[in-house]
Amino acid sequence: MTNPKADLLQGTLDMLILKALSFGPLHGYGIIQRLRVMSDEMLHVEQGALYPALYRIEMKGWVKGKWGENETGRRAKFYKVTKAGEKQLQIEEESWDRLALVIAKMREAT
Amino acid sequence: MDWVNNFIARLRALFRRDVVLNDIDEEMRAHIEMETEANRRFGMTPEEAHLSATRSFGNVGSMRDLAYEVKGGGVAETVWRDVRYSGRLLLKHPGFAVIAVLTLGLGIGANTAIFSIVNAVLFRPFPYESPDRLVVVGETLTGARDGAALSYPNFADWRDDRNVFASASAVRPNENFNLSGLGEPERLQGRLVSAGWLSTLGIKPLYGRDFLAEDDRPGATPTVILSYGLWSRRFGNDQNIIGRKITLNDQSYTVVAVSPPEFKFGLVGLDADVTVPIGLSAERFKARGADPGIGAVARLKPGMSHEQTETALNLVYAHLEQQYPASNARRRAYLMPLHEFFVGSVRTPLLILFGSVALVLLIACANVANLLLVRAAGRKREISVRVALGASRGRIVQQLLTESFMLAFMGAVLGVLIAHWGTGLIAHQLPDSIPRLAEANVDVRVLAFTLGASIITGLFFGLVPALQASRLNLTDTLKEGDRGSSGRQRLRSALVVSEVALTLTLLIAASLLIQSFRRVLQVDPGFDSKHLLTMQVSVSNPNGFQVAAFFNQLQENVRRLPGVKSVAISNGLPLVGANHPNFIILGRPLPAKGTEPVAARYTVSADYFRTMGIDLVKGRVFTVHDTPSSPQVVVIDEALAQQHFPSEDPIGKQLAQSPGTLSYEIIGVVRHVEDDSLERQASTTPQFYLSFNQIPTEKVPGFVRRINVLTRTDVEPTSLTSAVRGQIAALNKDQAVFNVRTMEDIISESLAPRRFSMALLTVFAVVALALASIGIYGMLSYSVAQRTREIGLRMTLGAQRHSVLRLVIGHGMKLALIGVALGLVAAIALTRTMKNLLFGISATDPVTFIAISLLLAFVALLACWLPARRATKVDPMVALRYE
Repeated sequence: MTNPKADLLQGTLDMLILKALSFGPLHGYGIIQRLRVMSDEMLHVEQGALYPALYRIEMKGWVKGKWGENETGRRAKFYKVTKAGEKQLQIEEESWDRLALVIAKMREAT
Repeated sequence: MDWVNNFIARLRALFRRDVVLNDIDEEMRAHIEMETEANRRFGMTPEEAHLSATRSFGNVGSMRDLAYEVKGGGVAETVWRDVRYSGRLLLKHPGFAVIAVLTLGLGIGANTAIFSIVNAVLFRPFPYESPDRLVVVGETLTGARDGAALSYPNFADWRDDRNVFASASAVRPNENFNLSGLGEPERLQGRLVSAGWLSTLGIKPLYGRDFLAEDDRPGATPTVILSYGLWSRRFGNDQNIIGRKITLNDQSYTVVAVSPPEFKFGLVGLDADVTVPIGLSAERFKARGADPGIGAVARLKPGMSHEQTETALNLVYAHLEQQYPASNARRRAYLMPLHEFFVGSVRTPLLILFGSVALVLLIACANVANLLLVRAAGRKREISVRVALGASRGRIVQQLLTESFMLAFMGAVLGVLIAHWGTGLIAHQLPDSIPRLAEANVDVRVLAFTLGASIITGLFFGLVPALQASRLNLTDTLKEGDRGSSGRQRLRSALVVSEVALTLTLLIAASLLIQSFRRVLQVDPGFDSKHLLTMQVSVSNPNGFQVAAFFNQLQENVRRLPGVKSVAISNGLPLVGANHPNFIILGRPLPAKGTEPVAARYTVSADYFRTMGIDLVKGRVFTVHDTPSSPQVVVIDEALAQQHFPSEDPIGKQLAQSPGTLSYEIIGVVRHVEDDSLERQASTTPQFYLSFNQIPTEKVPGFVRRINVLTRTDVEPTSLTSAVRGQIAALNKDQAVFNVRTMEDIISESLAPRRFSMALLTVFAVVALALASIGIYGMLSYSVAQRTREIGLRMTLGAQRHSVLRLVIGHGMKLALIGVALGLVAAIALTRTMKNLLFGISATDPVTFIAISLLLAFVALLACWLPARRATKVDPMVALRYE
């Protein structure tokens, strides 16, 4: 589902999508672009693989999709983070920070 | 609330699949188009831009599927899709589906039905209070514990001994009463009991009270407890019945209670209509020698075990022995749990039935397992293709399991129907002599167990190939076609072998029973059962002269009816019952107490022997000249002659019932009659006959409580029923007539339990044979289909038809013969347990064992033949190009 270069855990992709959307509503293509920018081109998500993950978090009620038009007038579905999604993002970021902290400390110890 | 939205979204997907899919398609298309536009802005040609966009998006098809799986109907939808897919597949191979469902249905249904019945009869507690504390008391002179009768005076000596039982009541069943004065006279089934009858069993009467000590003594005002059935049938549920007087045997009885609707003492069918205190007729039971005897039911004292009670009771018997040495020498009491007493005799046949049903269930499960394995193997390529196209292992397992589950479910539905219908049918077919049958209905726990066993079998054997299939090495399978994993091959072979073995066991058991039945039918009963009409009339008139005159006149009148060859009366009938008193031979030393010989005693009219067709061997039979005033005479049977007069002529010798009583001169010897049962080989209880005409008139009412009127006819005996009844009514309109049967009916009824178990076991054996043949056929058909290429190759290389035939048949027959060998071993072990059910044939009859083995081998050969012939028709070119 994801590029082996960055074999992301499923939950991680969910968090990244939420993060990308936390700056404002985007359609799927836009999410991919933003992820690319946010990760300084280091993260390369196979584009189609975005959708199962996107739908999964939509089914969880963290984001909500709505048909609209993009800047060139093309019909596209725009996703927006819901309240529950914001809360989830916060929870995940905190746990990531903790994990990162722990790993950092352990690396210092060696 | 999330889950609500979620649920609605999924539901929408389930019913509006196309809408959801369109949404996804459009979204993905938009994505690719945006990427294409971006690419073009970077300067690519339109074709390049589109190609690159599509490539970086990845596999649209599989992403769409993955996306749909997330967004679609979820589990419910995949299950539904699997169900539809499986349904289509099953419909495509209806033979497989029908066989699997039928197999499971039969297995579940038959097993549940039989087990429900076995359970109702053997294991369900009786509806009395703490039935496990109730025992039946018997007396024994030899130490044998088998239902010997109890002496009423002995019972009276210990029933009030509170060191022994909490309470006890006498029970003498099968007493008959004539109900009159209420319109049509009716013959009622009755029993004699003592005070405390209901309280001993722990039954509360519907109305009224239990018998008290003052009801239960000679000369007391006669009282009666009515059964619920009689109360509603004859008294219209009269709630003011207590205190009402009814006429039984021309005597007035006061109703003191009505028993509750569910009450019944042991034996099946309806409860006895009337229950009467035994104390009223204490005079009749005054002999300490237990002739006539009674039965007794007692409740153990709290805290006292069965063994302790028996010891305590036998202390009483030790005293009785000293007090009454004449009758009580070596007489001891024994206890038998009530439950054991009622069901003991039917336990073996029912357990055998149950065992055979369990075998059929095993075979059914083995067959379904085999079918599923064969099918899964046959679909290996289909599964490989699906795996190659991207189906996940989980999805494939799920789909295969759905299929097994659907089969199991349909089988279960069929099984429940068969169980429901079968229980009623079998309960209806079973002989009335099997206790508590009326209570049998489908036992839910049993049904749950059987369903569980079958469904687990289905799922397990569906799961094994499903897991194996999903783990396939794709390239190998696609490349080599399906050669089948040797592991699964072994499992299938083992299933076929065990099916054959189980079937052989059942077939041998059924065959032994069938042969036993044929031999029983061939037993010469010693009389001629054809063209013989029997009916019973009860004698309640206390006037002996009138009774004798009535029967003499009746015989006169019936003899004159057209179609009647001869007519006779007797107080006993072969296979129905007769008294079995002691007797002694005058002029010989008296045998020790308790070792007197016993014989069946029939009191008959002069024409009895001619009417029954019992041949005279020596001497003469009764004539009209044998009267109360002429010398008392007796006719004995060959068995008595052989046992007691082996080397002398019995004619002219004297018999008596006990020292000092009336003696009888032996005037003739007739053939021995199999009167107890046709099924007991060479019954040796001898018989003797007294002349009805010689009974002193005043003794007639005491002697004959029940008289059989026997009519030998030239025509179909039942055609004379109403004519003979008419003659009885013409002489006495209040005389109840009952049990109108032909002698052939009586024989047939006496064989009903045997016929039933034989028929049932035969059905099981045939079902098992059919299932096993299907099993062998299925396995070989599959194996041939699997080896098409190999066979084709062999034929290309010059193999002849017959060697191909031999190859395939050899494979099947090898398994069948291993099964037969194992089955023979199992059968030798198992048929031993049914020794008691066999008649005139050994449990290990070699002819049966060989013949059934050959039969099974032959059927197996047929089952091998069809697939083998198909193998020889393999066109080598087609076979080699195959795949």
